[in-house]
Amino acid sequence: MKFLTLQNIKKDFKLRDGSIQTILHDINLDIKEGECFTIIGPNGSGKSTLLRLIDLLEPCTEGKIFFKEKEILNLKKKEQIIIRRELCFVRQKPVVLNTSVYRNIAYGLKIRGLSKEEIDQKVNRIIDKIGLNGLKNKNARSLSGGEMQRVAIAMNFVLDSELYLLDEVSANLDPKNVILLESFINDLRKEKKTIIMSTHDRMEAIKYSDRIAVLNNGTITQIGSVNEVFTSPKDEYTALFIGYENIFKGIAKIDKVSELTKVKIDNIIINASIQAEGNVKICIHPESIGISKNIDSQTSYQNLIKGKIKKIRDLGNTCHIIVKCLSINFLVTITKLSMKNLDLKHESEVFIRFKATDIIIM
Amino acid sequence: MENEFLDGIVRAFVLLFTFDAELWNIILVSVRVSTTAIFIAILIGLPLGSYLGLKNFKGKKFLTNLLNTFMGFPPVVMGLIIFMLLSRSGPLGSLGLLYSTTAMILAQLLLAIPIIIGTTKAAIESGDPNIKETIISMGSTETQLCWELIKDSKRSIIAGILVAFGQAISEVGAVIIVGGNIRWNTRTFTTAIVLNTRMGEFGMAIALGVILIGITFILNYILTHIQTKRD
Repeated sequence: MKFLTLQNIKKDFKLRDGSIQTILHDINLDIKEGECFTIIGPNGSGKSTLLRLIDLLEPCTEGKIFFKEKEILNLKKKEQIIIRRELCFVRQKPVVLNTSVYRNIAYGLKIRGLSKEEIDQKVNRIIDKIGLNGLKNKNARSLSGGEMQRVAIAMNFVLDSELYLLDEVSANLDPKNVILLESFINDLRKEKKTIIMSTHDRMEAIKYSDRIAVLNNGTITQIGSVNEVFTSPKDEYTALFIGYENIFKGIAKIDKVSELTKVKIDNIIINASIQAEGNVKICIHPESIGISKNIDSQTSYQNLIKGKIKKIRDLGNTCHIIVKCLSINFLVTITKLSMKNLDLKHESEVFIRFKATDIIIM
Repeated sequence: MENEFLDGIVRAFVLLFTFDAELWNIILVSVRVSTTAIFIAILIGLPLGSYLGLKNFKGKKFLTNLLNTFMGFPPVVMGLIIFMLLSRSGPLGSLGLLYSTTAMILAQLLLAIPIIIGTTKAAIESGDPNIKETIISMGSTETQLCWELIKDSKRSIIAGILVAFGQAISEVGAVIIVGGNIRWNTRTFTTAIVLNTRMGEFGMAIALGVILIGITFILNYILTHIQTKRD
């Protein structure tokens, strides 16, 4: 069953002077159940509007949205509310209601008609998790900014929703609460919940996303896996936003002898110094990778992989080189001088090398 | 005059604590009429005000202007209109409500409703749009949304209720026209003060004034306590 489909979505806003501004043009998306889909884009690109349209907070000018194969635009108010109760929209600016911490968190559950016992159990569990046990009966508005944010986060994540819409949620949080938010998102990922999030934070996008869409000026310019988008950005904005990264999915295992983490990506094993086990994403900056034409004698580099140059992109005094090693492409940045000295050409056979300490594991 | 003022204050206490039957009747009539009027005005004004505050529709501007006009509607004129409606030859004359507390409640109610609608509307409109959207996206119905927003702007709304109540209990023009200032029946503080002043009974008039202020103070105190209470 298709989970969420957006077809030819267009959104116009009428400006004060009577003119019309199109915020979203012809958006087509297919969100799969259980995936984390991230929308990246500059301010004013229409990310929030897109999420608001899905949450039925605003009408679309044109297009259709299907949620579990049911058309959800043009529904009656009552039916809209039923759909909205299956979604959870976490907003950029966390706000709380003018009532106690407990009642704030219980609000969504109460209007969903849960029994008192169920509400009590869920709310108490989450209050424990956010560490506000002693403040349960205090008015949420009288709390400190950070505590209030925690109440606002809990208010949303206490709901057991089918689809989570996270609109730049970490942008306004203090660092402690970003960690809390991460643990909530990780729980959702473990429970295989579907998430659509918009973000400004590239690490956030890399960490959680299965797929990324780039939204620029109301148009989706690129959709793809994290690796695709981050190694071959299609436009300047994307390139600037991501700053180019090598990101791979793999399975990590700690090697007891070397005390390094061995990450298996297809048929390549990469050694990393950060300890991790299981499914991971690893990230290597293109500047951290060196190239040579032959196997040098001993170095401190723990990773040495043979490959072939597939593409050279001239960037002035530096170059982007795509090196294909078995099935994976590595993006390498070197100076033009090094390229000249090494006499690197298309289809040249090379060795790439990088340190185990340069690998970021997520 | 100074003596009469002091004399008035002393008389106020004497009348109160000797449980003067007529005075207590006046107190009960006044409080009953005004609290009933305000209570009904809240029941009608809160939902209407929040609806007006939430919705955008054609003619809202006109309606708002009309509402603002009615917030300052001259009570005497309101009394006159109700008098004409309820008088024997008027369209509602058959109900026989003229010179009754019901007619007085009606007059105060009609004066209070625009104030409560107006303040509720303003309070809800000036609320944080983020809160409104958060409540909607939680999946609340329109009634649940209205109720949450009313609770959220509790302070300004109670301020409006206080204003409406103050106007109702101290109102004299309309209640004297439709109530008729009948002893033991429709006589209130304000109408009794007017009568006593005309008769030169300044002491009694001042005594009534002092008690009126005292009662208004106590009721305001209770409402202010609810207003500033955090739950």
